[in-house]
Amino acid sequence: MTADTTAMPTDVVHVVAEPHEVAGLVVLALSADPTAAVHVMCLGVPDPATAQALTGCGAMSVVVLAAGAPVPSPGLDRPEDYVPAVAERLAGATPGLVLVPATVSGWEIAARLATRLGCGLVSEATSVRRLPDGGWCAERTLYAGAAVQGLEWHGRAVVSAAAGRGGPGALPPPDAGGAGSGGPVALETVVVDRDTRVRVTSRTSRERDAVDLSAASRVVCVGMGVQTLDDLALVEDLARALGAELACTRPVAEDRGWLPVDRYIGISGASVHPDLYVGVGVSGQVQHTVGIRDARTVVAINTDASAALMGQCDHGLVGDLRELVPLLAGAVRAAGVPS
Amino acid sequence: MPRAVVCYKWVPAENELRLDPVTRAVDTSSARWKVSDYDRNAIEAGRVLAAERGAELVALTFGDAGAKASQKDVLARGADRAVHVVSAAAGSADGHVTAHALAAQVRALGDVEVVLCGEGAADTYAHEVGPRVAEVLGWPVVTNVRELAVQGERLHAVRVVGGDLEAVECDLPAVVTVLAEVGPAPIPGLKAVIAAGRKPGEQVAVDALGLAPDALAPRTVVTRVTGYAAERSRVLLDAGEPAERVAALVSALTETGAL
Repeated sequence: MTADTTAMPTDVVHVVAEPHEVAGLVVLALSADPTAAVHVMCLGVPDPATAQALTGCGAMSVVVLAAGAPVPSPGLDRPEDYVPAVAERLAGATPGLVLVPATVSGWEIAARLATRLGCGLVSEATSVRRLPDGGWCAERTLYAGAAVQGLEWHGRAVVSAAAGRGGPGALPPPDAGGAGSGGPVALETVVVDRDTRVRVTSRTSRERDAVDLSAASRVVCVGMGVQTLDDLALVEDLARALGAELACTRPVAEDRGWLPVDRYIGISGASVHPDLYVGVGVSGQVQHTVGIRDARTVVAINTDASAALMGQCDHGLVGDLRELVPLLAGAVRAAGVPS
Repeated sequence: MPRAVVCYKWVPAENELRLDPVTRAVDTSSARWKVSDYDRNAIEAGRVLAAERGAELVALTFGDAGAKASQKDVLARGADRAVHVVSAAAGSADGHVTAHALAAQVRALGDVEVVLCGEGAADTYAHEVGPRVAEVLGWPVVTNVRELAVQGERLHAVRVVGGDLEAVECDLPAVVTVLAEVGPAPIPGLKAVIAAGRKPGEQVAVDALGLAPDALAPRTVVTRVTGYAAERSRVLLDAGEPAERVAALVSALTETGAL
């Protein structure tokens, strides 16, 4: 979310997030309006380090919502279950922007809060700013990235936004004072009833690489046109030759399970910003290409010259990947390309 | 007979949008319209679930008169019945209005034990209407589901939440939003297309649902839609021996500093 710091009356922003997400959203709120009065509702009890950091996150107040009886087993708590308690507190609070992280849980929380508050929702806003008449405007992506939508509203609204990396490490030190709203604040803990209609029976972590594709300078992407594991090995070798991170499209990870899910690029996955992106057997549906639009150079390798990616690339290499990919890997190595 | 409802959206195909070269305004007039991609997976999940439950599957949409054209497709995909809540103002509706209209029609149908929605619409991808419908109905919602089963009056689901798979259960009735991975959406065969012609497609005026004016008043207004055009050089290397094509690519990448 980008900022527009046109002088405006002080706004009230309610940040509603899990402990580890709070800091990033407070930074976002204050970058959009440095004079905003930011109030935090933290969904669940933070660990001691996060709690200490939250006292200096820049918010005017931090309320920790703690689960009342029956207290959920560790790991089986859901931020979604705090929606009724949050809505009740917001209904009685000064109206303002309600800022929620654009995550799977955040999407649900945002939509349910907006409904309970009878207000609008801007899902995954890319910018929010105040209008001279006291209203608000925001932008968000449409058609999987093919367009940008501008929205306006008056009064209260819930906005979800991606806060980037907002982990405890990103917090200012507790004694640094608030960025916009004064010094350290005391955390107030309130025990609340949760919505217990949806019960977690188990939680398992999916295989992850903890890879940060968004930081990669070169990316080689596997599409559904890569049809066998032998072909996949050829593409992997090209990635090695280029010193590139290996990525894929959603069905390669989600349906075939060939790569961990944090390696897929697209509207519901990662966005990349490399100097070089090489898509092998990638058809180029907008749900994927929205994630590569910031690549400096896009290369497409495909048997199908009419694949959508061929119309959206810088260099389209047409032909059989089984021939072209090993040749390209060899040529890259022969050229002594620094990887 | 119990009912399962699948909500879907009728949207222009995003790859057939035209951009005004100067203003970048998006023109949908020459685009074909389609049932939103992920909603097709929801319809298939609904078809499977309804068959198991001996339930009637109702495909429900909210849209202007143009959305009537969607009913043939959703009936061919396995819905027993299609209901289109018609509003001339649907084009300016937001999630608040859409959810109230859909929820009112779910109530009007009666005996609904589950409402399915896709993970997000192909145009807005806002993940908004499913949870909103649940709140309007006062039902629990389970979002981002990749596995779904109903036993008795209890729903079991596996959600994808960040890096975790979260297994949950809740009592019916409930609203469920499903991921594409819940199951593929087959293209209807000829028999299904012919059978669709004999199934009922109904139009219900939104005014007939007895909604308060506030429920039909959008909270947000779309002020503009601007297209994005990729600025790429689009050089195709499709002639000569494979080694020549690769050599041409490497020298082009080296020249531009990409390698």
